[in-house]
Amino acid sequence: MLSVSDLHLSFGGIKALQGVSFEAAPGEITGVIGPNGAGKTSLFNAISGFYTPDRGRVAFDGRDITGLSPDRRAGLGMARTFQNIALFRGMTVLDNIKLGGHTRLSANVWQALAYFGPARREELAFRAEIEERVIDFLEIDHIRKAPITALPYGLQKRVELGRALAMQPKVLMLDEPVAGMNREETADMARFILDVQEEFGTTILLVEHDMGLVMDICAHIVVLNFGQQIAAGTPAEVARDDEVIEAYLGAAA
Amino acid sequence: MGQFLQFAINGLMSGAIYALIAVGIVSVFKATKVVNFAHGYVIMVGAYFYYTFAVLIPGAEWAPNWLAAWQPGWLVEMREGLPMFSPMGAVLDWVQNLPRIALGLAGAVLANAALGLVIERTLMRPLMGQSVFAMIMITVGLISILAGAVQLVWTADADFVPHIAPNTPVRFDVGETTIFLFGADIVNMVVALLIFAAIVAMVRFTKSGVAIRATAEDQSTAYSMGISVPKVFSRAWMLAAATGAVAGAILATRNGISPSLGLFGFSVLAIVLMGGLDSYVGVLIAALAVGVLEAMTQWQLGGDWAEIVPYVAVLIVILIRPHGLFGQKEVERI
Amino acid sequence: MITGNLKASYAADEQVFDNRNKRAFLYAALLGLAALAGFADDYVILVACQMGILLIAVVGVNVVTGYTGLISLGHAAFVAVGAYTVTIFHEAFAGAIPEGLRALIAIPVAMAVSALVGIIVGLPSLRVKGLYLAVATLSANFIVIFLIEQEVFAPWTGGMVGIDTPAPDFLGWTLDTKREMFVLIAALGVLTLLAVQNLFRTRVGRAFIAIRDRDYSAEIMGISLLRTKLTSFAISAALCGLSGALFAYFYARILPEQFELALSLELVAAMIVGGMGRTMGPVFGVAVIVMVPEVIKSIFGVATGGEAGVAQLLAPLQEIAFGLLIVLFLLFEPLGLNHMADRALRALNRWPFAR
Repeated sequence: MLSVSDLHLSFGGIKALQGVSFEAAPGEITGVIGPNGAGKTSLFNAISGFYTPDRGRVAFDGRDITGLSPDRRAGLGMARTFQNIALFRGMTVLDNIKLGGHTRLSANVWQALAYFGPARREELAFRAEIEERVIDFLEIDHIRKAPITALPYGLQKRVELGRALAMQPKVLMLDEPVAGMNREETADMARFILDVQEEFGTTILLVEHDMGLVMDICAHIVVLNFGQQIAAGTPAEVARDDEVIEAYLGAAA
Repeated sequence: MGQFLQFAINGLMSGAIYALIAVGIVSVFKATKVVNFAHGYVIMVGAYFYYTFAVLIPGAEWAPNWLAAWQPGWLVEMREGLPMFSPMGAVLDWVQNLPRIALGLAGAVLANAALGLVIERTLMRPLMGQSVFAMIMITVGLISILAGAVQLVWTADADFVPHIAPNTPVRFDVGETTIFLFGADIVNMVVALLIFAAIVAMVRFTKSGVAIRATAEDQSTAYSMGISVPKVFSRAWMLAAATGAVAGAILATRNGISPSLGLFGFSVLAIVLMGGLDSYVGVLIAALAVGVLEAMTQWQLGGDWAEIVPYVAVLIVILIRPHGLFGQKEVERI
Repeated sequence: MITGNLKASYAADEQVFDNRNKRAFLYAALLGLAALAGFADDYVILVACQMGILLIAVVGVNVVTGYTGLISLGHAAFVAVGAYTVTIFHEAFAGAIPEGLRALIAIPVAMAVSALVGIIVGLPSLRVKGLYLAVATLSANFIVIFLIEQEVFAPWTGGMVGIDTPAPDFLGWTLDTKREMFVLIAALGVLTLLAVQNLFRTRVGRAFIAIRDRDYSAEIMGISLLRTKLTSFAISAALCGLSGALFAYFYARILPEQFELALSLELVAAMIVGGMGRTMGPVFGVAVIVMVPEVIKSIFGVATGGEAGVAQLLAPLQEIAFGLLIVLFLLFEPLGLNHMADRALRALNRWPFAR
């Protein structure tokens, strides 16, 4: 579904990624792990199109998308969340989620200015859809009219997931979905991620520090260290890998 | 060729003054990340302060006579028998005006620095740490306030102020043609470039310069390293206003004093963006280039076309090089 | 007392006027406008027309600055383009198009030309953020006014001395009184507000706000920054063009100096005072901005007993007042009068049980 091959990325002299290659299998959850500064977020930014890699390619659904802008990639069916929540802070929860439908709705400027007619039909149908598939699904119906700034951190994370779900993506990229969450919130989020996979068959790629979560829900894991891919495989394989243990626990272990 | 040289030199001379105006915008931006849209109007107020201290106060009834026209015995003696419009006469005129010029410059610099401090304290400080958008919009509001206030206090009538240097004509030949310059213009240019250089040196080499640069890099880190960020802010504003006062005084000697002086700020804003906002060298080059370009336009197309040169130039530069000719592209962290 | 905002369908929830107090305000406002047209005296009509013309332009600025977050300090240029386009259109097609149709075509043409100029001026916004755009629009303002003033274009624009605009004629109905003009201005003003409100409850308008709030996040939603910013600019400039067209028809004579930076700043002031990024913001803002000179005049009338020298002070005082309004609102009520009105409305909904 989503494949990355031989990705190289550098900022000035800093080599953020050096030859990362993996494939996120359709309908599976793939995890990317690694110590701080390993290049996980850079990898995400390269995949979603914010950074142009120096070398290598990103392919989506069999198509080379290395040169596409982030909005074009989104149009193809890629959605993502950000490590430090990137919701639209001036809007309500509902409006944030509605933005996920941007590429799927089609009203043009004239229809929008007139509203009644195609734009209204489309908006109402979309509203009904997100109410069911996103708001009910993520159990956020009690806050749909709340402004983002009034929400606690955990709920903001969930709304961001909701906004990505409203895009009905083929690939969902989650950048540290449970960072900063307590045990209960983490369990909730894990449940939602598994539900998304099960219910919609979405391919999921996630970056996470919470080892327990990654080991529990991922089918496939890629390990980065200093921009290099040091291991890849099933959770069990990766957990046994010497290089991975060294990277996490230091050479002495 | 001679014509070309004449206009090129004229252009460089006005470019140097643009650079002096620009230094205020760049300094405030470096320290506070706020682009002061009202800088032209701060300068205009500086020009009116110069007018007040150099013309209005010496002209007042209670002011001592030597302030308005200093005429010691030796000056009167030297003047005897000089023909009209002689170079020596111009120098003597200047000496005679010296007291009020000095008072004017000192008064303008101090009063304008105080204005800068007041603006920073009352308008910028309350918004510190909040959106830069709001701070920029406040400077937009400041345009109207300063423009209105000047007309209220000093009326909209135009007037003249004394040159800061002897305005002797300077003539020399290049090949066939004679280049014709004025002493005051040359001194203006030198003063402008010296102040510009002094500020760049200050930011680069002194302790308060380091504080400004640190603040520009990262406000909260600078704060935690013991740099008083509010102090850096108010110093930057005072510095900008003080240099603006000198620029305003010079502009007033060239163009006469009137509320339309504020408009220079907008051409200089265009220049600053062309140069790249945070690059002193880039801004200096852009200022000189626009000065020359204006002079050339004046030569080829006539005087009024020169007034839109900076605006056309900035639009072209922004389209081709969005971060200015010498500005750095900021890498955005996502 | 309205106890809750309870709806039975999503359609009801998506309505703009979603409770009876809001609907009551709408009907009262429409009735008020009709009453003005019918019964107000000439001076009130004059002021109301000024407000209406300014309102449409401020709504335009609000689209690009308030909703899309791109600072513009040159929207007076688009007003100028609109005003001069209708005037030149009437002159150029005097023979070719029947009189009753001329204004009907001229107004959309003016909007289209303004939109086109807006797109050109908006081009820098694709590359860099707000600040550069502010300077680009400012520059455009100076350039447009400069060109209008040039001798070369004087045969069309009238140069520095200005040019006369004929009274518009809609299929035989000539709007040659201010009261008739008011009907046109009020109708278009209400229509503008409704259209913009509609815009922001669909994908098109939401994309604008998304760019304002967080541009990279907007990109990840599939919003093309390039196209969306230009769309915003085009709509905004078109509305200013409409305002300019009405301006020309209403004053029947236009001068380049009417569209200088001062007007751009006035538009920005009205937007900030009213409330950026709110549909009704411009209404409040324009009401305040247009009343300022009136208030200053009346204060002076009382203080000096109507001396002659006062007129000279009016312009600078008005300028200071605009500047102070911008500054004070940004410092103390950045959300503008609209926010104050919202609070009042909320209190009214809950009355008498809570405030």
